[in-house]
Amino acid sequence: MKRILPLAAIEIFVWIALILCIVIIGRFAFEISLGSATLMERIATQTVRLAISCAAVLLWLVSWKKVTERYFWRTIGRPSETT
Amino acid sequence: MDYSRIPYIPFVFLVTFAASFISTPLVARLMKNHGITGRDVHKIGGPEIPEMCGLAILFGLSVGAIGYAILVPDSAREAVAWLGTVLIAGGIGIVDDRHPLGPKTKPLLTAVACLPIILLGTYFPYPNLPFIGEARLTIVYPLLIPIGIAVASNAVNMMDVMNGAMPSTVGIIATMLTGLLIVAGEWKVAPLAAALLAAMLALFYFNRFPAKVFSGDTGSLAVGAALGGLAILGRLEIVVVVSLMPQIMNAFYGLSSVGRLYERREIQQRPTKLLDDGRLAATAEKNAPITLARLILAVGPSTERNIVRGMMLLTLLASILAVLTYYMTVVRI
Repeated sequence: MKRILPLAAIEIFVWIALILCIVIIGRFAFEISLGSATLMERIATQTVRLAISCAAVLLWLVSWKKVTERYFWRTIGRPSETT
Repeated sequence: MDYSRIPYIPFVFLVTFAASFISTPLVARLMKNHGITGRDVHKIGGPEIPEMCGLAILFGLSVGAIGYAILVPDSAREAVAWLGTVLIAGGIGIVDDRHPLGPKTKPLLTAVACLPIILLGTYFPYPNLPFIGEARLTIVYPLLIPIGIAVASNAVNMMDVMNGAMPSTVGIIATMLTGLLIVAGEWKVAPLAAALLAAMLALFYFNRFPAKVFSGDTGSLAVGAALGGLAILGRLEIVVVVSLMPQIMNAFYGLSSVGRLYERREIQQRPTKLLDDGRLAATAEKNAPITLARLILAVGPSTERNIVRGMMLLTLLASILAVLTYYMTVVRI
């Protein structure tokens, strides 16, 4: 159980981050409007929406990678124990 | 709720289980006689185990899905689309087991497995998102289907590294999916999830520690595609993504630590090593992929059976989170 608990915590963190990401994209990024009268305004709106969505997903993936790597290299650095 | 459909679930379950359970030892004998075996690298002495026994899963799922389609003709389109996806992914697995495919070719080919779902139009481009509800993705959704099938099948394939790991973890997800599909009233799809559960139980009996059969890429790619297919047909896309978190974590950790798509066979620095006492330990190699097994072993050496138990616990947690996610899709903020 001891070896699973930190991974379970990472899993819960990743899940919460995923839900937040979906809410940010669905509720905020896709609500942004820079106008839709001209083609340039429509392109600008879509670009901003896409950029914010990509940034949110990237932030999610990078934080996931960092947390995992930090846990792994800190744990494996400790003297190993027998189970 | 249409209770008249309930009896089809145990029927499809039993038929699939019987077909998979009876055919697995037959396929294993056939493979052994033809010298199609793989070394169990996590055992001292590395015993040779019959490979490609995932053919029995393909047979079991075919019997279950075809039986269901004959019995309930109004569900035939869903059953055929799902089975078509499973069989194409399984066919790619057969090719990969006999002539290993490259790390880029395999995901690309598995993406093609979604064709029956797209051609038969058995998808609904309005996925349910947590706290948002139905998202209108009429143009993007068909483009996301190949990605979804490729990710699911390759993530499950990458988790099939230890005795019983793949059937036990997918079995947990299939149990959760069968329940959720019933709750969601997706009666056409629920029996297909029950079929997957039955096939996983039959495979687990033979593949559990110490394994007597290996499913090979034939089985693992097909099973992953089956899960992806259930997500699309049952409109549980985000739920399946959450339930597959341990598999996706395993694949993502590996990919992000290596920095590119890779094949297990081409990895020079192994993530785990076999100790003299039969236990496994994580290696401290900087360039070895950080897989889920290596993460579980980071605390210290352990047995293969304990590692698989750890994977099962993480999948159980992911399935509980998936159920919570399902209920979040009916809440609006």
